[in-house]
Amino acid sequence: MTLKQYQKIKLILTVVLAFVFSQAIVLKSFVPPIILLLAVSLLLIMLRRRVTEVIADERDYITGGKSALLAIQIYSWLAVIGMFILYAFRDLNPAYEPVAMTLAYSTCVLMILYSLIFRYYNKVKLTDKKFIYIIFVFILFFVLAIASIRLFSGEDDWICKDGQWIEHGHPDFPSPAVPCK
Amino acid sequence: MTNRIKELRAKYNLTQEELASKVGVRRETIVFLEQGKYNPSLKLAYDIACVLGTKVDDLFSF
Repeated sequence: MTLKQYQKIKLILTVVLAFVFSQAIVLKSFVPPIILLLAVSLLLIMLRRRVTEVIADERDYITGGKSALLAIQIYSWLAVIGMFILYAFRDLNPAYEPVAMTLAYSTCVLMILYSLIFRYYNKVKLTDKKFIYIIFVFILFFVLAIASIRLFSGEDDWICKDGQWIEHGHPDFPSPAVPCK
Repeated sequence: MTNRIKELRAKYNLTQEELASKVGVRRETIVFLEQGKYNPSLKLAYDIACVLGTKVDDLFSF
């Protein structure tokens, strides 16, 4: 199989996946797209092995690494700024708070994943000073995450109980407009 | 860093595609190398030098 044929099949499969995902969201059926995603991933891995040409070389990996690092940095900065803005304006709309939290946690997960993968590729020894610094940063992240959970969410909220919204703590926003089921 | 890849490739009558295939990279990488826009790894430099029948320090000059 040539590289062009592989790329064409990949493009077609991506379009099919996008269509199935959009339909799944409309129909609220989430199992078929996950199964299809796994099937497509396996199919692409198999097809990739049959390509006789070079798909990616050292220059692609270097460029990819630089691009990924820059993308992570840009996303992290935007997500942190977005989180603070949304959290600051949560009184205007209670829906801002979960979005802010999602941004914050997704940034944490992304950075932790990056650190772990970086460590794996860098093959840092357990006794290495660098590794001790990484562990320290993880502990710091963990403590900050716990502190943010305590400070920003969960304690003061509306809880759905027996078909009614009941105050948990002292939420400073009205009960959700959606019916409690 | 300059190199003699283009000159030696012409000497051996190799296309960029053929050289890329022999050293296991994409043709674009050879284009970037010839234009001096990419510094190859030591392995790639060695592989290219072997294909072009020369030594790494004769192929690349700083």
